[in-house]
Amino acid sequence: MMPAIYLEAIVLTLGVLLVLMEAFSNSEEKTPVAWLGIVGLTFVFILTFFTANDLSASPYSAFYHADFRAIFFKRFALLTTIVVLVLSIEYRGVVQKYVFGSRPQAGLGEFYALPVFTCAGLMWMASAVDFIMIFVSLELVTISFYILVAYMRRNAGSLEAGVKYLILSALSTGFFVYGITWIYGVTGQTSLEKIGAILLGLKVSHGPLLFGFMLVLTGLGFKIACAPFQIWVPDVYQGAPTPVTAFLSVGSKAAGFIVLMRVAEVFLPVPWINHKAVTILVALAALSLLYGNLAAMPQHNLKRLMAYSSIAHAGYILIAVACIGSRYANIAVSFYLAGYLLMTLLTFLVMAAVANQAGGDDIVHFNGLGKRSPYLAFAMLAAMASLAGIPLTVGFFGKFLIFYVAYEKGQFLLMGIGVLTVAAGFYYYFKVVRAMYWKEPADDTPVRTSPLTGATIAALAFCIFFLGVYPAPVIRALEGPPSDNPRLLAR
Amino acid sequence: MIKDYLPILIQAVVAIGFAASALVVSIILGKAGKRNPTKDTAYECGMLPEGNAQPRFSVKFYQVAMLFILFDIEIVFMYPWAVVFREFVRAHHPVIFWSMLSFVSILTVGYVYAIKKGALDWKK
Repeated sequence: MMPAIYLEAIVLTLGVLLVLMEAFSNSEEKTPVAWLGIVGLTFVFILTFFTANDLSASPYSAFYHADFRAIFFKRFALLTTIVVLVLSIEYRGVVQKYVFGSRPQAGLGEFYALPVFTCAGLMWMASAVDFIMIFVSLELVTISFYILVAYMRRNAGSLEAGVKYLILSALSTGFFVYGITWIYGVTGQTSLEKIGAILLGLKVSHGPLLFGFMLVLTGLGFKIACAPFQIWVPDVYQGAPTPVTAFLSVGSKAAGFIVLMRVAEVFLPVPWINHKAVTILVALAALSLLYGNLAAMPQHNLKRLMAYSSIAHAGYILIAVACIGSRYANIAVSFYLAGYLLMTLLTFLVMAAVANQAGGDDIVHFNGLGKRSPYLAFAMLAAMASLAGIPLTVGFFGKFLIFYVAYEKGQFLLMGIGVLTVAAGFYYYFKVVRAMYWKEPADDTPVRTSPLTGATIAALAFCIFFLGVYPAPVIRALEGPPSDNPRLLAR
Repeated sequence: MIKDYLPILIQAVVAIGFAASALVVSIILGKAGKRNPTKDTAYECGMLPEGNAQPRFSVKFYQVAMLFILFDIEIVFMYPWAVVFREFVRAHHPVIFWSMLSFVSILTVGYVYAIKKGALDWKK
């Protein structure tokens, strides 16, 4: 059994290797960089199953935990990055068009190498239990995203997205760090565990600590893209290269949520914080649900629609965060994110393939996809059905867990808003389905995909249905081996 | 707790007060200056100003600046490391040596990459 801390070291070494390979190889062809990245990350993914979970003896345990949730989110980050690399290979034509250099594929090597560094940051974040560690890994993720979002530098949309993302993300990081300093000022600690112990004592000044916690919440609100911190989302999602948009909407959001969970689990059990913090979380969740779902309705660009849908999904997950203290809140958040990974990445894969051919990612470009390439259309149908939350898909089970947790904690207002907005979701997700099956195609040529993309699409679509019917593997990975904790599966 | 921050508040008040009072005093005591186009031009040591104030700089300046900051920070880390090195190794473990070595080697990779990419090649 290998200590979990080696995983990130391997991923980082892989990233360095890719960068050096990019710099030193004389070959014009840059796709091998992506291939090596995919193979290396798959290897690390397999290694996670042979990683020691116990953290008792580790000298790093003060700031690095390798519990089941951490390992789960490490796998999550690896899987996301692998699919993003597949997507990048599919999308390389567009990037090439807007990054012209001395050689035809100049700049593509870094486009494949940077996601690997982001992945290392995400993996560290999954384990971070100290504010300093959280901050450093958050920065590693964010800084590589700054570059990736603005990657197509001859494209005005990508540049606009880059500037907006840089400014707002730096601002949110400022809020986050300022919050950490207030919390440190009150407790004198950066370790979450020690802060938790101090908070449960009596001699803590309430005002400054709440202020710090709210600032941290604001900073994380930007990362998870919940209302009212969502202003950047639509423009950045639309302007960024499609693989980066997929990475942002899955990786960045998951990173924000795992930090939010770790922080909230320390602060929410404290009685005098609890009712205030829960009120704020409920308000954030309700706002995100209403804003995301209502604003998604009139969209006719699929990337923008996915941006608003991402805000809406942040709202659903926040319902479960507001219910921390319930036995299954943690599982509900993680499971929902896992399902969100599958359906979002599937949507973006199909979108990239269609956009390559049609030259755009408006919903109109999907007209008649059911006739042109039934296979892609079916995969998209699976993704949309799951995003909307139709039974037998993973999206349904995710929403079911969220509403179950909300019911258990008596958050009936959130349940009501949640159920109503799910109905709104059906409308705009099925706009895409309607375009695919009920509209006449502009041309009849089938959409071509590479075998790798086709296989990835099939795997993701299969997982959506498989986990929708039999979610036990994911839940088991989160709960770990039998213990005396209350367990979802045993019931 | 909050009382400890009183000096910071005083400093802020002094800073704002000084700036405000300097402005107010100059308005009260000073004569109102007359404006003309020559007076409004940028002051460059008495020379006639040339061109726009915001020309486009070559990206190479930024590359050099970034590399400089990178290695400057490295030195900042190395000073305290070198100061405590001997005592730390004696008291604990040589892990401090390997951690610095890995840190420097990561930076070296970045440096090799920058050279290989022609970041320091000004003729190109």
